[in-house]
Amino acid sequence: MKRRTFLQLGGMTAAGAWLSGCRSANEKLIPYLVPPDEGVTPGRAEYFASACRFCPAGCGILVRVSEGRAKKIEGNPDHPVNRGKLCARGQAILQEVYHPDRVPQPLRRSGPRGSGKFTPISWGEGLSLLTGQLRTLQRERTTERLALMTPQLQGTLADLAARFMATFGSPHHIRFDLLAPDWLRAANRRSFGQASLPWYDIAGTRYLLSFGADFLEYHLSPVHYGFAFGRMRQGRDTVRGHFTYVGGRMSLTAASADRWMPARPGSEGALALGMARLILSESLYDAASLAANGLRPDRLSAGLEGYDLPRVAQLTGLSQQVIAEVAREFATTPPSLAMAGEMVAFQENGAEAVRAVQLLNVLVGNLNRPGGVYPGGGPVAGPENSFADLLALVEKMRGDRMGVALIHGDPLHAIPQTTGFPEALGRVPFIVSFSPLLDDTALQADLVLPDHAALESWGDVIPLAAPRGTVIGLMQPVVTPLHDTRQFPEVLMTTARELGGGMAAAFPYQSYQEMLKETMKRELHPAGGIDLETVWVDLLRQGGLFKTEGKRGKGYRWRAEAPIPLPAEPRFAGDERRFPLHLQVYPSTAFYDGRGAPLPWLQQLPDPMTTVVWDSWVEINPGTAAGLGIGFGDLVEVTSPRGSLRLPAVIYPGIRPDLVAIPMGQGHRGMGRYAAGRGANPLVLLALPPSETGPLPAWNATRVRVARISKEGGLVTAGNPEGSYRGELIEI
Amino acid sequence: MKKSRFFAGLAVAVGAIFAGLAMMYTLPFDFRDHAPLQPLAFSHKKHAGENRIHCLFCHRFALKSPVAGIPAVADCRACHLFISPNAPEIRKLTGYWERREPIPWVRVYSVPDFVYFPHMMHLRAGLVCTTCHGEVAAMERITRSVSLKMGWCLNCHRQHRASIDCWTCHI
Repeated sequence: MKRRTFLQLGGMTAAGAWLSGCRSANEKLIPYLVPPDEGVTPGRAEYFASACRFCPAGCGILVRVSEGRAKKIEGNPDHPVNRGKLCARGQAILQEVYHPDRVPQPLRRSGPRGSGKFTPISWGEGLSLLTGQLRTLQRERTTERLALMTPQLQGTLADLAARFMATFGSPHHIRFDLLAPDWLRAANRRSFGQASLPWYDIAGTRYLLSFGADFLEYHLSPVHYGFAFGRMRQGRDTVRGHFTYVGGRMSLTAASADRWMPARPGSEGALALGMARLILSESLYDAASLAANGLRPDRLSAGLEGYDLPRVAQLTGLSQQVIAEVAREFATTPPSLAMAGEMVAFQENGAEAVRAVQLLNVLVGNLNRPGGVYPGGGPVAGPENSFADLLALVEKMRGDRMGVALIHGDPLHAIPQTTGFPEALGRVPFIVSFSPLLDDTALQADLVLPDHAALESWGDVIPLAAPRGTVIGLMQPVVTPLHDTRQFPEVLMTTARELGGGMAAAFPYQSYQEMLKETMKRELHPAGGIDLETVWVDLLRQGGLFKTEGKRGKGYRWRAEAPIPLPAEPRFAGDERRFPLHLQVYPSTAFYDGRGAPLPWLQQLPDPMTTVVWDSWVEINPGTAAGLGIGFGDLVEVTSPRGSLRLPAVIYPGIRPDLVAIPMGQGHRGMGRYAAGRGANPLVLLALPPSETGPLPAWNATRVRVARISKEGGLVTAGNPEGSYRGELIEI
Repeated sequence: MKKSRFFAGLAVAVGAIFAGLAMMYTLPFDFRDHAPLQPLAFSHKKHAGENRIHCLFCHRFALKSPVAGIPAVADCRACHLFISPNAPEIRKLTGYWERREPIPWVRVYSVPDFVYFPHMMHLRAGLVCTTCHGEVAAMERITRSVSLKMGWCLNCHRQHRASIDCWTCHI
């Protein structure tokens, strides 16, 4: 190259660089192409009241909407359940609307099942595929071959689903939820003769004794009880309520306690009875309460003969002195309150252990009094043994006796494989999923009819735990639906209308919204004769119907024929020598049972006890880990009689040496880019212990062994921010 | 002697460089963010000046929202379907509309994220648009006529006895 050419080229390059520098670096102002006609004022936010249906707690929310986009969610101060507070999960449901992997329109499977190959189709085609299948069942007079699987729905949606199935002529509406309080309803029915859920007056109690009830994380209504817990501790001038937690793993709730009693898994019921016996023998019981409940102290003492202090200490692995101290404190600090939770109920002897805790409340007079436990104002009826329904359905699916399965939710991820559900579902010829994301179940479906996101939906939400009266949260669409999706109840109603005949007649509504209004009309004025339109807007503005005055229903009273709870020796799945450790699978603070996993805010939320983000882990006691040669963050293999998993280890002092714990919620096959393939699903490890009365939902009764695999666990935690997942997206 | 001359020359040269840099820093050479080129040669002089269209006709949210608002492409087109539809710049507008693209206007006035500036409050306080935006009606291309620095805001707030509490703007 000549010197002259070089200089020319150099000059041109420099000029070019200089000229391009002239382009303004200012931001752009992008106007609307066509202004929206719904009265949007740019820059001005509007707030809509709605209700959260992420978990059954059913908190009230206020959503800030700017330029037609939902921007922020906070608690609704008028809602009696959460009083303006909201948990991280409720705040994160914004990301459900704007998830990049939402199913934008109906899909029909085009590859083999589970391949994830789908063809987009129109709603017309999708609905005609569905009605075609249902018509075939009707024509062949085999309508019982239709199965509907949903979570435990409430209110209008529950009514609609039940009516749909009943009119169609199928008894197979399965409402199984791993974390649903079936166990609590069943125990209440057995002890008190009524299956309503309790409401605990935590705010007013002076001594709280929780048997594995993690009410700050997920138990019944975490925001409600978390708020009440704050008031119990600091809301009174002279009293700071005392809190004792019983359970083998230190959860967030346990970490907030004054005393942690790490009883041996499965021995919690025995501990409760040991305390009861001590209270009886030292005459610390409330004689009036026992008389009111038709119980006699001498007979009770005789019934609890076997639970003397030395034996209970030996069963639980706790010291006699501690047990006696807590029992005396509990009995002499009225009002006191004992709660039983999932971690106890999911033992093989859980049903009786929960009742043993209830007996403690009867014994010291905590029923139906301030600072104690009342029958709650939530939904009165609900499934008491949906697990048996599930097993019956699995049996029928296995025998090729089911033709069509309509599935709302992600049971393939949320139901332990030991039930045989995945294989059984594979035998159903036609599976319809209503998931808004391609979750594990939708990946196996033949037809996906995507539901709206929660913030685009109508609905009513009845909270699980409400002090009294009628509390119905109303969901309203706060944004225009982003995609060509339709609401699940709307699809059921359209299908019914297409089927014609009795099905169409069962739904004399133009839309689900109209059906919802009918429900509210009934709730407001059972006798009728009310013009709903005058109050409807007020109800929506307020966030629902909150009638918290009014009388409480019939209080709890020990049923005359109810036996004294006697939890049997706990049984576990897995031989003690081959599988020396107990496994506890607990709901993740961020993901609940796994439904929160697709939301990146929740993935990024550090676990409050371990600070792990974007992953699964297994918690191991330092002593046990040292014996197995496991260090913090090592990759380990957890093996149960059912299967094995590889995941990183967290050395955790807050857990019994004979126990390991894994949070649930991760390990999805699908569910969008943030959840798919991340972490591990501990439910695959679960095995059911042997039982004469048929399988029990004993999810905490599996034994495992743990072995070290390598150093490369790849954990990202506050103490170890350089984990292998670290990237642009993942950090702490 | 030669040496001292050399040092004197060096000092002058260094001084000149510093003076030049200082000038570059103070003089408004930076046209890029004061008066950027817009994707369309939209003339405020023609619209607001010659044709006397009121500011709020297009920036219609200024009275009720923190932001004044930029007219939607459909709004521009509504008039220009009939008014000189064949002018070259209007053809560009039609092009955007036909491609279903919003026009990527370049922002001239902006305050940082930590400043809350509500248009409606200033208008309700009786300020006119020209106080901050200058004689827009005489501008072909919009030029920023004020500094938008905090001292400038505070001066005006003091003159008008508006609150100068931190939380007034930094919320």
